[in-house]
Amino acid sequence: MSDAIIRTRGLTKRFGDFTAVDGLSLGVPRGSIFAFLGANGSGKSTTIRMLIGLLSPTAGTVEVDGIDVIHHPRRVRDRIGYMGQKVSLYRGLTLRENVEFYAGLYGLAGEDLERRWGGLRERFGLGAAEREEPEDLPAGIRQRAGLALATLHRPRLLFLDEPTAGVDVQSRGLFWELIQDEAQAGVTVFVTTHFLEEVDYCDWVCFIHAGRLIADDAPEALRSRWAEGYRIDVELPAAERGEAARRLAAAGMAAAETPAGLEVTARALGRAELAALHGLGEGARLRIEQPPMTDVFRRVLAGNGAHA
Amino acid sequence: MSEPLVRLRGLEKRYGRRLALAGVDLTLEDRQIFGVVGPDGAGKSTLLRALAGLLEIEAREATVLGFDLRGDVTALKARIGYVPQTFSLHRDLTVEENLRFTARLHRLREPEFTRRAGALLERTGLAPFTARATGALSGGMKQKLAVANALLPEPALLVLDEPTAGVDVMARAEIWALLEEARRGALVVLSTSYLDEAAASDRLAYLDGGRVVATGTPAELRAATALELYRAWADDARAAARAARALPYVQGARATGRFARVEVRRDRSPGPRQVVRDLVALGAGVQVAEPAEIDMESTLLALAAGAGR
Repeated sequence: MSDAIIRTRGLTKRFGDFTAVDGLSLGVPRGSIFAFLGANGSGKSTTIRMLIGLLSPTAGTVEVDGIDVIHHPRRVRDRIGYMGQKVSLYRGLTLRENVEFYAGLYGLAGEDLERRWGGLRERFGLGAAEREEPEDLPAGIRQRAGLALATLHRPRLLFLDEPTAGVDVQSRGLFWELIQDEAQAGVTVFVTTHFLEEVDYCDWVCFIHAGRLIADDAPEALRSRWAEGYRIDVELPAAERGEAARRLAAAGMAAAETPAGLEVTARALGRAELAALHGLGEGARLRIEQPPMTDVFRRVLAGNGAHA
Repeated sequence: MSEPLVRLRGLEKRYGRRLALAGVDLTLEDRQIFGVVGPDGAGKSTLLRALAGLLEIEAREATVLGFDLRGDVTALKARIGYVPQTFSLHRDLTVEENLRFTARLHRLREPEFTRRAGALLERTGLAPFTARATGALSGGMKQKLAVANALLPEPALLVLDEPTAGVDVMARAEIWALLEEARRGALVVLSTSYLDEAAASDRLAYLDGGRVVATGTPAELRAATALELYRAWADDARAAARAARALPYVQGARATGRFARVEVRRDRSPGPRQVVRDLVALGAGVQVAEPAEIDMESTLLALAAGAGR
């Protein structure tokens, strides 16, 4: 991973006798949506604080967008956007006044601000909320406003710490569409969540436990390593089953006959496996069962000796 | 037939001009895990507080465990365990001191306290931390303690407001194991924004605008959804989702991992075979398309859009 926007080596933080982060080496690819997961108390927040220059490590190195964070913490903060679980909007100020306040911190004003905020306001659906005070807004809209403010100064890297906690499913869906748009536009998104189905919205996932990395992979790769694999129910006329089973086997999938067709199992569903399924033709009716991420992470944790 | 555990008719709660609950009708016959779901601001927390006897309300009928919520609820409160959304145990007290404090309020005798607290601490994995200040526990441990604390007096009704928000998957599983055990002796009513927890509840109420819009088992709510769900598997699922949105009958499409979830309103659907054909014909790298069973996510989204009624 040569083009990493975040790179840490042996990152360690001790508080007295307690080691919160233990020799963490991370690489976050530029332009990716990067999920950073772990149980409560596993060292996630401590790591994020070190990455954004709010806490200095006991040992190790951190580089963010080419900057040595330990020596130049302030320079990092200009290049990143941060949004925590408790969106920091000032009470007593309307959303619009909050925008002007934050814009001022980044030297954004006048026409530049109007253009930038106008675009965000429309894309994030915040027009109606602009004159409201944040405490009167529903959680979902407050979170979108938080994201809009975090991206106001066009950071190349966004840190989102549990941005969807306590937000309803509709707002979570909208929120992830916005995050994917940001990534499409080249922004790197570093995100934490406890909604494990959201991991599938990400390109890469790291999982830490007791301050150490216990998984570091693409979501599908984790699934194929830790879950039972995919089960695919294929409805198919009896005459076509033999040939179909042979083809699927050639693509590395096991197929067993059922009364209605075939039951197929596959470790992963990559391009080759999908092509083989496509090759079964229009007569085949498929039902694909994907192992849920919740199961994957329970196994990752159990496999690493975590308390179940 | 015995009296239902909860019976609400036309329950209203007003805060100044705002009607937080605008006529809730709800009957809970027996012990179960009852999930309250719905969008932000729907009135979920208010309903839970009302059930716990914490609010002055208006109603045509409002009985909980046989007590009238419009009358004196002191005796009712002694039989209810309530876990609010924000952590509300004493942060300066240790784990054990907090439990002991609750035991005193409920006049639990020492042998009873020792037996029950010991079992709960064991079940939650908190046994090694009894001497730790509650404020120093991790988020997951705090919530496990809050639930254990509410269970200590063996309530007949346990009310929990988003007990697992911000809690990791292992601690969530432990909290659910506690709730499933509690269900044998108590009615458990909780709100949640996790889809898997909604799906694991015995029955659900979907709240919107201060009213119960739908109730039923998760399977019943799924079956009543006026949506069809399809998955289009592709190398670049984000491109597939964008392409799928262009089909005239598609309600919404979002990439998740290797597939795009495609939602189609049932009344506009040209039928599964045609939809599958259209999705594969999109190009956009779609290799395989399949009709999928409606899941909790689509069910809740449809209810939010008014398409599940």
